[in-house]
Amino acid sequence: MDERQPPADEPRAEPANRRRVLMLGAVGAAAVVSIRPALAQTAGSVLNCEIPVPDRGRAGSFIDADGGVVAPGTKGAFAPPPRPFKGEEVKRALTGSQLPGTSYESNRAYVNYIRRLQRGQGGFTCFASLQMPRG
Amino acid sequence: MADPLFRAPTVDLLHVCPLDDAFTAIFHRASGITHLLVSPAPEILAALADAPLTQAALRDRLAAAYDLADADPQALAARLAELVEVGLIDAA
Repeated sequence: MDERQPPADEPRAEPANRRRVLMLGAVGAAAVVSIRPALAQTAGSVLNCEIPVPDRGRAGSFIDADGGVVAPGTKGAFAPPPRPFKGEEVKRALTGSQLPGTSYESNRAYVNYIRRLQRGQGGFTCFASLQMPRG
Repeated sequence: MADPLFRAPTVDLLHVCPLDDAFTAIFHRASGITHLLVSPAPEILAALADAPLTQAALRDRLAAAYDLADADPQALAARLAELVEVGLIDAA
């Protein structure tokens, strides 16, 4: 039986079969954003971080209207933008502006993609940083 | 050529502050720079806290402590390169 109770005097430990899962993430993803002192007040480095659409592992794929990553050339989907978007551009897009070089429809598709970013994907750290309140 | 050893700063040089489920803020006293980290970067720093490790030894250390869902050596190398680039670990 692997459901033994720990002795009362032993600190409660996670059972071996319920260990935390650790994801090393995608090669192109970032796990660190640095805030340098001179820029800390404006969080400049956060706003200068970049969000590739899609992430580098899927470069060249198209983005459909819902923000899904689909095969290049898929009808109704949008070709990826020629360069990653800056954090500042994304921040403005999240409040109603349009990403540079986009149409109304492609902007909506790219923003949907960015909103759906998960931890471990390229651009997630940057996107998540944009949500953080700043003093 | 010997595999490089990755070394984290001693505990007194870092102020580590978990912010929520996703983020850990780390203030690096030596540089005065604050870093926002997501998993697995804080776990890698913690694994290197006791002694410098090669990438392979680090992978074994992480595998002993966690279920590695994607034990991709290239992904671990990318995380290490990123931590070296921002100055949170040294490679020697």
